[in-house]
Amino acid sequence: MKKRSHKTYWIGFCVVVALLAAAPLALPDFWRRFLTEILIWGLLAMSSDLLVGYTGMLSFGHSAFFGLGMYGAAAALLTVSPPNLWLAVGCGLVGAAGVALFAAYFSTRLRDIYFAITTLIFSQIFYVIIFTWTDVTGGENGLTFRRPPLSIPWIYATPFTNETLHWFVLAVVTASYLILRRITQSPFGMVLQSIRENENRTRAVGYPVERYKVVAVMLSGLFAGLAGVLYAIQNRFAAPDFVYFLVSGETVIFNVMGGIGTLIGPIVGAGFFLLLRETLSRFFTEYYLIPVGMMFIAMVIFMPQGLLGFARNWLNR
Amino acid sequence: MDASTDLHFPPAERIGSAPLLRTERLTVRFGGLAALNGVNFELARDEVRAIIGPNGAGKSTFFNCLTGVLRPSSGRILFKGEDITGLSCDRISRKGIARSYQITNILPNATALENVRIAAQSRRHRWSMFTHHRAYGDIIAKAEAALEAVGLRGKAEVLAANLSHGEQRNLEIGIALATEPELLCLDEPTAGMSAAETRDAMELVRRIAKNLTILIVEHDMQVVMELAHRITVFHYGEVLAEGTPAEIQRNPKVLEVYLKT
Repeated sequence: MKKRSHKTYWIGFCVVVALLAAAPLALPDFWRRFLTEILIWGLLAMSSDLLVGYTGMLSFGHSAFFGLGMYGAAAALLTVSPPNLWLAVGCGLVGAAGVALFAAYFSTRLRDIYFAITTLIFSQIFYVIIFTWTDVTGGENGLTFRRPPLSIPWIYATPFTNETLHWFVLAVVTASYLILRRITQSPFGMVLQSIRENENRTRAVGYPVERYKVVAVMLSGLFAGLAGVLYAIQNRFAAPDFVYFLVSGETVIFNVMGGIGTLIGPIVGAGFFLLLRETLSRFFTEYYLIPVGMMFIAMVIFMPQGLLGFARNWLNR
Repeated sequence: MDASTDLHFPPAERIGSAPLLRTERLTVRFGGLAALNGVNFELARDEVRAIIGPNGAGKSTFFNCLTGVLRPSSGRILFKGEDITGLSCDRISRKGIARSYQITNILPNATALENVRIAAQSRRHRWSMFTHHRAYGDIIAKAEAALEAVGLRGKAEVLAANLSHGEQRNLEIGIALATEPELLCLDEPTAGMSAAETRDAMELVRRIAKNLTILIVEHDMQVVMELAHRITVFHYGEVLAEGTPAEIQRNPKVLEVYLKT
């Protein structure tokens, strides 16, 4: 039976990826772009699920990792000519990882709400730095740059089209999902879940819990930074708004709506939330946040597990 | 026959000269109160030692010091001749001291097997990130052996929260065993157990004591008298008496503060 559910899982996985890959050929331009964005926000949400869902650490600092990914990519694209895709990815990841290490070192000494508050404060510190350091970051206006070509280093390069950009994002998000999934199933991932279940007991059987938390925050920050890089490449700008804590809040909402501890759930949550916001803002114009908020409250009350919470055990096999 | 006689007589030849665990003038103060006051204690390898004493005598504080939960105010703890005073819980666990808790302390939302698997894994592959945890046969074998040792092999796939109280107490010991300790500290392993469960738990402790040094805090005198080679009596944070069960039962000081009821 276990074997069959395993097979169903991989068939489902392939079907979904195939549909997502085929989508830009069928969708009008606006919705194609929208779908690409959902994938990027989904990656951000998934990265924070590693902390929120698997380690039991509520992070309100993911906007900093996302934003530093953006600005890291921007730095590479603006200083090196011709702009290089992989250099942008590398710089974005280095930026995000640096911030993650810094934030993790201080915040993982704290637990629960204190951890959440500390990550929030760190992200706001980075927001203020980016917002005020106009010479380097462009301040309020942010930075704009050209999109690098899609390239295989030294072999082949071609400018991104709308479709290839979507496929590139899809490939990165899919690979990230598979890596994160494997991490959560590994002995390391089991320790994270053990920390979530009973931190003291985990320490008592011989795990240096703080070090595991630092690594978890680093990994999470790395994937959040990757999402930031993708967003920068898609939109050709980096802006301080994306380092602001509202982005972190939305990341948590994606997780809660989709179902924490499932990796897939946060992507679904991101898609659901963005679609909801898009649809409702057409009907309610500037008041759209009121129905969105009511919907969120209703979901938390009637569906505390999130959209995919029911499949949690199955998705974690 | 057996197991119990076996255990009561061999200490003399089994116990080597260098103690496995030794504390020197171990003191813990909470504000003005000395919960432990200059405790000198020695535990030989392969011994089963019970610690008894009235509530507040410092038994739990002593355990917490040995396992790194509390940092002593002064004094030293030597394990296998090495100073482990003030090391963190996880370091002490990796040195080879495991403990079970008075209040059941397990992962309730994980299966029994996962509970011991996590513990077994703390000794090998604990940073492995890109291999599925089920691919490590050595961890699973260790975990299953630990479950077998505490009689929970048949309940491997049951959620820990759904086990009976007695089974959870045994799982607690199984988690400790899975870390392959040299010294096992049991904090009231029979707390809250029925008479039948207590018998089984004693049988279990006797079984695992064959190749393990055990330090046990216990209130049930029958359990203590039957299991322990030697008994240390704590009173107001100090060692009041130490000796074989027979000596302790005759000791007038012990009778006065503790056993007279």
